[in-house]
Amino acid sequence: MKRTSFPVLLFMLALLIALSSMHLFGLQAQGISNRIVFWEFQIPRLLSAVLAGAGLSLSGLLMQNLFQNPMAGPYVLGINSGASLLISILILGAGPSVLNQLSYASAAMMGAFLAASFMFLVAKRVQNIQSLLVIGLMFASFTGAVESVLQSFAAPEQIKQLFIWNMGSLQQMSAAQAPLLAVFVLVGIVIALFLIKGLNAMVLGDAQARQLGVKVNFLKVSILFVTALLAGSITAYCGPIAFVGLAIPNLARAILRTQDHLVLILFSVLAGSCFLVAIDVLILLFDPWMSIPVNVLTAALGAPYVAYLMLRRR
Amino acid sequence: MIKIENTQIGHQQLLISIDELKLPAGQLYALIGRNGSGKSTFLHSLIGQLPLRAGQLSLGNFSVQALHNDHLLRAKHVSFVQSMFAGVEALTLHAYVSLGRLPYLGAFGRMQDKDLSFVDEVLSRLNLTSLAHRATQNLSDGERQLASLARAIVQDTPYMILDEPASFLDYFNRELLLDQLQNWVQSNAKRTAIFSSHDIDLCLEKGIKLLVLHEQKLTLLENPSKKEVMDLL
Repeated sequence: MKRTSFPVLLFMLALLIALSSMHLFGLQAQGISNRIVFWEFQIPRLLSAVLAGAGLSLSGLLMQNLFQNPMAGPYVLGINSGASLLISILILGAGPSVLNQLSYASAAMMGAFLAASFMFLVAKRVQNIQSLLVIGLMFASFTGAVESVLQSFAAPEQIKQLFIWNMGSLQQMSAAQAPLLAVFVLVGIVIALFLIKGLNAMVLGDAQARQLGVKVNFLKVSILFVTALLAGSITAYCGPIAFVGLAIPNLARAILRTQDHLVLILFSVLAGSCFLVAIDVLILLFDPWMSIPVNVLTAALGAPYVAYLMLRRR
Repeated sequence: MIKIENTQIGHQQLLISIDELKLPAGQLYALIGRNGSGKSTFLHSLIGQLPLRAGQLSLGNFSVQALHNDHLLRAKHVSFVQSMFAGVEALTLHAYVSLGRLPYLGAFGRMQDKDLSFVDEVLSRLNLTSLAHRATQNLSDGERQLASLARAIVQDTPYMILDEPASFLDYFNRELLLDQLQNWVQSNAKRTAIFSSHDIDLCLEKGIKLLVLHEQKLTLLENPSKKEVMDLL
């Protein structure tokens, strides 16, 4: 690890703690706090911001490594759409009564894994990222169409549930779901840490990575698996959240000027958490006047940055 | 020692056919041949990337088939330098060269002090120390090519295969590269290096043994005259 990276990581950790305190304190300032509210609403909401931010940016980092392209991410490549499609089938087909926490998450993970694998196979055929992004977009439209068809058969109650979920929000995760999501994200981070060696070699491309002794196929399947675990479970509990996975890893490389994935993983996890917690603090601040959906803010901050990256690459 | 027996090499169609060839260790060989004669194909077969159409090919104790099946073994046995390394965003030259140590690192890919000092030593031998912290995407083609050689040296394998490692180098760096390669094979009797080149004059001047590819055959020339080489080509 470069000596300069360590203070940056320490700073991000301090920032995360500061933002988290603000997050908890911000809610208390509105005078609604008691023990039950604290444990049933405030803590799950903070946890979902921390976990979703960490997991989404890590899955973005892994996808950028897998596709060997800094413009890859779980949202733009339609991974969320895959998760979304299977969730819709579950909500509309089975109805909320059958749903428990796990079936939700496993359906989303399955959808994410199928979508990620599909996009990966497509990426082998089309070599340039522009085509890939367009195909990702088409894939999202297609799953959207299927969802619409499904909706026309659904009861209003189910459609409402799906609509709210599809908005993406850090407030819908229940206290019972929080430990599950924490386990999924932690497992994802730990597996990613054991892939560091391969990830570092993969920046040179498949052939060179093989030449350096990396089991490339195993690595790729592992990346797909971890991406599905992270993006799938987060999408299940928080809905589709855009731009975090794409923007944060690029920010990590821009600030740290490194391709050492130990540093990149730790920074992405911390910075992703900071980003979503900060956004939720903003949402809390504006709450008395208006309720801002989380995707509005991630897009407002993330989209210009991503556009800037595209322009800089020419 | 590299041993080649009754070997046929090529993708869909046969490019090279070798009855028997033994290349003793401790030597540097330059692979010479006209455009399209199959130099890269031959080198890719040597590192086990392209399966043989027939026959036996072994580097020391291991057949290319065995090396192909065990990536980690291959990474510690033979290093490969591609003709073109385009550079990577945010990957410094130092970090790129350090990737050569990867086969020897633990699961988290941490470099030990001895790895770092080895990298520093190789960088200074190749006059790259001042560029160590530049991003590889901002280096010139020639600088990247020297960095690729450094990466292969750092990989510390008994065999090194290089595909046109000097194509972007200026005259002085081409001399540096050949001197470094000769140094590398001479400093350890188990080492063997093969590089492809179009620079026949410089190879002859340095007294490097030539492997000449012509009409699907591979001929070893030790101490040839320029006329002999030209007649073969």
